[in-house]
Amino acid sequence: MSVESVFPQTVFRLLGIPVKDSVLQALFIVLALSIFAVVTSRRYRVWGPRPWQLAVEYLVETIENLIRDTSGRSLPQLVPFLTTMILFIATANVLGIIPLLQAPTRDLNTTVALALVALGSWIYYGVQSRGIGGYVRSFVEPVALMLPLNILGFFSRALSMTLRLFGNVVASEVIGAVLFALVPVLGPLPLTILGLLTSVLQALVFTVLTFVFIVDAMGQEEERAETTASAS
Amino acid sequence: MSEAAQFAIVTTIVVGAAIVLGTIAPVLMEGRAVTRAFDNMARQPSVADRIRGLLFVVLAILESGAIYVLLICLILLFANPFEGMLGL
Repeated sequence: MSVESVFPQTVFRLLGIPVKDSVLQALFIVLALSIFAVVTSRRYRVWGPRPWQLAVEYLVETIENLIRDTSGRSLPQLVPFLTTMILFIATANVLGIIPLLQAPTRDLNTTVALALVALGSWIYYGVQSRGIGGYVRSFVEPVALMLPLNILGFFSRALSMTLRLFGNVVASEVIGAVLFALVPVLGPLPLTILGLLTSVLQALVFTVLTFVFIVDAMGQEEERAETTASAS
Repeated sequence: MSEAAQFAIVTTIVVGAAIVLGTIAPVLMEGRAVTRAFDNMARQPSVADRIRGLLFVVLAILESGAIYVLLICLILLFANPFEGMLGL
């Protein structure tokens, strides 16, 4: 295993487009998580839940608490999206621990796709909460002079999230490969354990940042609701 | 000295300098964040768990400064765009 093998290799060509192995690994994760979700929901039991069901419930409750702690309001419509995102990224980041498999997020294209999903969610929830006019107007707040800066900030958020996730995963994989070349037995182990920690942490960071920017796009809905409630 | 050897030497020196200089600021700031977090955890043990949870997230975000430097270094080492231009 050399350092070059960390970077994604082309497996085959589909209609002239090279398909990297990271695509297949990402599809494998999608398939595995879908089967897991279907099986867990089919076996759902109110009385005497199984450990798997408890684990999933714990995860969903953690996301709900995260939303309440970070934004101060409960947004139940965001829970499925954010839970899916953290599950996919965390699984994708730690997939490299299984022999013959590698983390699909070590490919820049995967993280760009994830950031595009996040970017779409900012627009979707922003438009849903404020209306198209209100959302477009949020780009010229506080003054129209800020329009270029706001647009730049909108895209650089996605760019920084992309590079942060990609950089962390590639860094831990490259360090593992270099240490493996130096000391093959037990050498990379401590850094692999550290890599597992940072992988899960980066999934959390990606999700939290997505959520924070969604709330930013949604605007001060809470205050508006309070003022109407106090007016009536 | 051939052009390829010159290119390799310059790249290696620049990457080494970049990783040293570029990680100074993020690591110093991470140290400050950890110090303040531990101070306040000792002062108010009741919120220590919340601080610890937030600390990890903040550290991961601070770490990204150093990660960007590492990315540039990896690009220079393994996918240098000027390598093709020079025909090496």
